[in-house]
Amino acid sequence: MRFSALVDHLRTIAGRDGVLDRPEDLMLYEYDGGIRKSTPGAVVFPQTTNQVSQIMRLASANGVSVVPRGAGTGLSSGAISPEGGVVLAFSRMKRILEVDVENQRAVVQPGVVNLQLSEHVAPLGLYFAPDPSSQKACTIGGNVAENSGGPHTLACGVTVNHVTGLEVVLPNGDVVQFGGKAAESCGYDLTGFFVGSEGTLGIATAITVKLLRRPEHVATLLGIFETIDDAARTVSAITAEGITPAALEMLDGWTLRTVEAYCHAGYPLDAAAVLLIELEGLREAVEEQAEAVQAVCREQYAREVRRAKNEEERALLWKGRKTAFGALGRVSPSYYTQDGVVPRTRIPAVLAHIGEVAKKYDLIIGNIFHAGDGNLHPLIMFDIRDREQAERVQLASRKILEYCIACGGSITGEHGIGLEKRDLMPLLFTQGDLDVMLSLRNAFNPSSVLNPGKVFPTTRMCAETCGPAQHPVLAQEGM
Amino acid sequence: MSSAGVVTQYASQLRALCGGEHVIEAPSELERYSIVGTTPALAVAPASQDEVASILRMANELRLCVVPAGGCTQQMGNAPPQVDVVLLTARLTEVEHYDPADLTVGVGAGFTVSQLSAMVRANGLLFAVDPPLPDRCSVGGVLATGGHGPLRHGFGGVRDFCIGLHFVTGDARRAKGGGRVVKNVAGYDLMKLLIGSHGTLGIITSASFKLFPAPRRTQTYIAEFYSAADAIEFRDRLLHSPLSPICLELVSPGARQLLRPSMDAKSWVVCVRAAGSDAVLRRYRSELGMAASRQVEGQSEQELWRAVENFSESLQAQHPDSLLMSLSLPLRDVKRVISEIEVVAEANDLTVAAIGRIGAGHLQAALWPLTSADATGAKLVTTISTLRAQLPRDASMMVQLCPAYVRTQIDSWGPTPTDVASMRAVKQSLDRHDILNRGRFLV
Repeated sequence: MRFSALVDHLRTIAGRDGVLDRPEDLMLYEYDGGIRKSTPGAVVFPQTTNQVSQIMRLASANGVSVVPRGAGTGLSSGAISPEGGVVLAFSRMKRILEVDVENQRAVVQPGVVNLQLSEHVAPLGLYFAPDPSSQKACTIGGNVAENSGGPHTLACGVTVNHVTGLEVVLPNGDVVQFGGKAAESCGYDLTGFFVGSEGTLGIATAITVKLLRRPEHVATLLGIFETIDDAARTVSAITAEGITPAALEMLDGWTLRTVEAYCHAGYPLDAAAVLLIELEGLREAVEEQAEAVQAVCREQYAREVRRAKNEEERALLWKGRKTAFGALGRVSPSYYTQDGVVPRTRIPAVLAHIGEVAKKYDLIIGNIFHAGDGNLHPLIMFDIRDREQAERVQLASRKILEYCIACGGSITGEHGIGLEKRDLMPLLFTQGDLDVMLSLRNAFNPSSVLNPGKVFPTTRMCAETCGPAQHPVLAQEGM
Repeated sequence: MSSAGVVTQYASQLRALCGGEHVIEAPSELERYSIVGTTPALAVAPASQDEVASILRMANELRLCVVPAGGCTQQMGNAPPQVDVVLLTARLTEVEHYDPADLTVGVGAGFTVSQLSAMVRANGLLFAVDPPLPDRCSVGGVLATGGHGPLRHGFGGVRDFCIGLHFVTGDARRAKGGGRVVKNVAGYDLMKLLIGSHGTLGIITSASFKLFPAPRRTQTYIAEFYSAADAIEFRDRLLHSPLSPICLELVSPGARQLLRPSMDAKSWVVCVRAAGSDAVLRRYRSELGMAASRQVEGQSEQELWRAVENFSESLQAQHPDSLLMSLSLPLRDVKRVISEIEVVAEANDLTVAAIGRIGAGHLQAALWPLTSADATGAKLVTTISTLRAQLPRDASMMVQLCPAYVRTQIDSWGPTPTDVASMRAVKQSLDRHDILNRGRFLV
């Protein structure tokens, strides 16, 4: 089938206004929150599961690749389509299908915006816990694909800990169910396996999530430090006290000054680092922990510890954290956000290493990260038009991630592999590990129609990423 | 070659690989490792992931059936038609990493839950898994069965804090998922896939976990009710309150009698365990108010929770021919299902004992005859099929223990909301010759 005929067919499925294929419209879908670009051949906006199923059947039959897309806020180029592929955009599947208070669940379509769900159930005293920085825009379908985290996942867990059921359209168009409203289901935990599979196994069209009760009491503290080492050591010292904060975030001096100039959150301009610490729960417990955390900060030479006196002050402190990425746009034409993870005791060492890398490659690198779980977000400033500088950014990134791995860490804590980090996968996994993952992908998505080129490295595996998995061990044994 | 000949050939390969002392062939010893009534032809205890891979590679060549086993505390499922080899994980006991300040630990699958708990408790930390028989139950086993105990309510299940694992697939490939850090989305989440797969996809050889600061002080409040319905209403009030206890367990009158045979218990009990300072515990007492008739702490509190953990053991000791079912339910359905179980039990002259993490929708229900009667097996079969026919949407009901006759008449697993064809595709992609636990699982 010619592509134009395919587009006609897509229009019969999704409606005349449900497909875009003019170059000026497609330009809006050639990028996401990452740094790669590629222009799709068409964008289709399904409204029902049945339409998604028909689209997948059509695409599979014609060998046309399909890339699902939520809000396009992802940072690992997960929503980038190959040239000429079909983007399946979920902006018309954004209904909250059910709020089931008794079972503490909601069922949502994939295009529901993360924050909108929490706002919708707020009058019931409930909320959806995963809170990525992009939560005003990002969709729950995207959160499921990437297994998104956020500042408050330190105590509450990431997306996978909050999803109990999925309706999934498989690449061949079949509609299947994994799990449901019960916490566990008999058989394999395909719900858990699917979350974080970056759209390479199927497309979630209805998502059953947990709703949590809003905590009774919250304390938000800002610890201000003269050295970055003192701040980093405080992170381990807090957990050594037996305290698990709801959130434990760190901004280094360069970043907090940039943020302060943008949004006036009240961060001190002359500090080397701040820790933003939030405690949640029973009033008595929160008050005790707030005292203990302040004591720990002082023991670790904090210059000052401030506590938000009211919701307004709290919101302001968080505004600084959550809009930090926007603030960077004022000082640099482009920036590259990394997403390494280290064991939390290695935070001082990794920060020192990032400082050395910045010096060596002559780059400005800011640090803003989820310190409580060791998830770093080094922000590398550059100008994307300067090719030589862009190359140095790639080299510096790789050095930082290699160091994370050497510390026993990971190359991504919450942004995913996508296209961006697929060729770093062999640093973390052996060929054998990747072969096993590939044979699982092929069990669902054998011809790679859905999200081709994501997650798996291009090197060495390119011959195997399409078609049935080779079986190295059994093949070697002549089986 | 005859089937006995194949096994003989395999045994000699295993002796060469693992050493003769780690291959068990004497029938009298092998009975210990019988799997749901089927005695294996051999048992072998490898010392490394490499040896596990070699054992499975040879089993694939000979198409033998392998059953992995840890402490054999939760071997359930359908009776396997054949077990050639039981693969014992007892020698996989290496500590791969442990830094208390990182709150993570990685150990071999053969570590027992007690050993791991004791190791981290020495540093003020908690491995938040409390399955039955922790002295025997292995880390690999608790993962493979998705096992849990009362701490499940406050800390979640192993799926929520297993951060990485190494395993060998049924088709003999060594693999790992995750890593050693608490937050990690690199590659597929193979932990989720292996947890609760009952040894049908791969053999877990080691695993890493997130640990928690151990509670410094706890107290347990006991609330008594005339009916299960009242107990569940209390649960709902608690779930809507600001309290967040670490354990929330329902104990039926029958279960109380089972745990403390001296007790003439008529009431339903909800045990609420809280952790925190004096001020926090005071708050619990004031919130629970009159509902909590008693409170326990220290030694007696430990004993109470140990008894709850070991419910299935007490059951087996006192009523070896009972039926034990494990149910996972949407929260709203717990009340209705308990009442259905009571109705079915009465109609079939059975006694009921139920216990469960009702805040997470979990329930364990045991049934046994009031008096020993010939027709008991048939009654238990009827009970299972009646309950399954009424099972709410999204619910699961697995048979954990039952008399051998009943096992031949029923499917241990029952209905599931999850697509079975997808499960089959997963099984096929990791164990193409169906070497692992053949004939015991759903797929």
